[in-house]
Amino acid sequence: MSKGAPWIAALRVGVPPLRGLLPLFGLLALWQIINPHGSPYFPPPSAWWVGLAGLAKNGRLLTALSATLTTFILAIVFACLIGGLLGLLIGRSRAARRALGPLLEFCRGLPPPVIVPVGVLLLGYVQSLKLVIVVLVAVWPILLNTASSTAGLSDLLVEVSHTMRLGRFATLAKIVVPSAVPAFLVGVRGAIPLAIIITLLVEMLTSLPGIGSLIVISQRQFHSAEVYGLLVVVGLIGFAINGLFVAIEGVLLSRFPPRASYMQGN
Amino acid sequence: MRRESFNLPGAVTFIAAIAIWELAVRSGAVSFDYLPAPSAIALAFVGIVRSGELFTATLHTLRSILIGWVLACLIGGVLGVVFGLSGFARRWFLASLEVLRPLPAIAFLPVALLLFNFSLTTELVVMVYASIWPMFINTMGGIANVASRLHDVSLTLKLTPLQSLAKVLLPAAGPAILVGARLCLGTTLVLAIIAEMIGNPHGLGYAVVSALLAIQPEQMFAYVLFIGVLAIALNACLLLVARRLLPVYGREAMSDV
Repeated sequence: MSKGAPWIAALRVGVPPLRGLLPLFGLLALWQIINPHGSPYFPPPSAWWVGLAGLAKNGRLLTALSATLTTFILAIVFACLIGGLLGLLIGRSRAARRALGPLLEFCRGLPPPVIVPVGVLLLGYVQSLKLVIVVLVAVWPILLNTASSTAGLSDLLVEVSHTMRLGRFATLAKIVVPSAVPAFLVGVRGAIPLAIIITLLVEMLTSLPGIGSLIVISQRQFHSAEVYGLLVVVGLIGFAINGLFVAIEGVLLSRFPPRASYMQGN
Repeated sequence: MRRESFNLPGAVTFIAAIAIWELAVRSGAVSFDYLPAPSAIALAFVGIVRSGELFTATLHTLRSILIGWVLACLIGGVLGVVFGLSGFARRWFLASLEVLRPLPAIAFLPVALLLFNFSLTTELVVMVYASIWPMFINTMGGIANVASRLHDVSLTLKLTPLQSLAKVLLPAAGPAILVGARLCLGTTLVLAIIAEMIGNPHGLGYAVVSALLAIQPEQMFAYVLFIGVLAIALNACLLLVARRLLPVYGREAMSDV
């Protein structure tokens, strides 16, 4: 079997053969050949590139890209911190779980896009609006997954900490947190696509600077080549973020492997 | 999972949260300009129910969710079966799909707007693109992981490929497919609301945005909370159906993923 750093191994898992990309490239080439000068609706891929180059030239692309990525990364970091900490606290206390349960379930059930207008209404069109909304959306999957895994911590492991006379802090650091890592990562995996979508949605709705507002402006001006070009950019962002997460997840899971017995216990 | 008895502390906290919200707004303790009190939201809710706006919007959204969900389940399911069964398809086509999968569906909205203007088609394109994936991945996984013993059974019984698909493979992959269908419904709902906010000026998503633009906070909150209840109700319906369909596997397959 292939050995190597955990992040490389994680990236390799489940990657289908690369020749499977041929149909996609084939289609794009066909598009280019059939339609070299471009209808206004289906500009050929070469025109997408020209459109993007135009946006890049006056610096709008880079500004938008950095605005979007900054929001996304900060939001995920905040959501991980807040969701992870609150998840641990709520998961550790049975009373808190019972009391907050229905409220949390409702917040989880609320479709994320409706949080955007609520945020706009309460905060107004300010720069921090984007960040606050995306954190609010991304925090739920992380919080709930961490809480339910912490709550399901096997009694056996709790007894281990008693036997070894670990203090509260040591129990948390050596037993509770490591066993919650896999579920926490499942939460982050769910939060990432949501955070990307909502970042773009906020930008589209509020015209705050970012890729989302750039793509809507291009669409309103019927610059279709730019719209397709930006679609590719968004796709690349999604692809890169996904790869980065898989690599980080691989490293963390090799240090804190999921154990079935942690979950079953009870 | 064991059914819990009535969760009294939970209900009390829920009601207390609403009461605190009401008090905070009435006493002016919070300084948001546009935060309405729960009682005002309830009044606005009665208003939109009476005027029929809520009903029309809900009907539109539910209809597009249903169409989008069925389409996405069909496309995703068929693709999943094909890719689950055929190693050829996986080797020569899967990578193309895997590149398209992480593409955030919302980025398709401007393209769809360009092609189809403000219409139901725009809404559906975005919804279906996003919701194919959970169905596709789960069906493919479910079919590909059917135990080889079961393939032997179809061989022994001399089932035709179609028979073996209908009688052996699909039932065996059933739980995974149902999980896919359930995730798919959630995605469809989220994307329907997004598409209505930006791409198709009808339905609940549009109602929320237009209440926002008209600065009618009470109405907006009434819609937002209603959407939350609707989402939870839809999910609950699907759980119920799944338990009926697959009494044995259902519970396991439907517990939280």
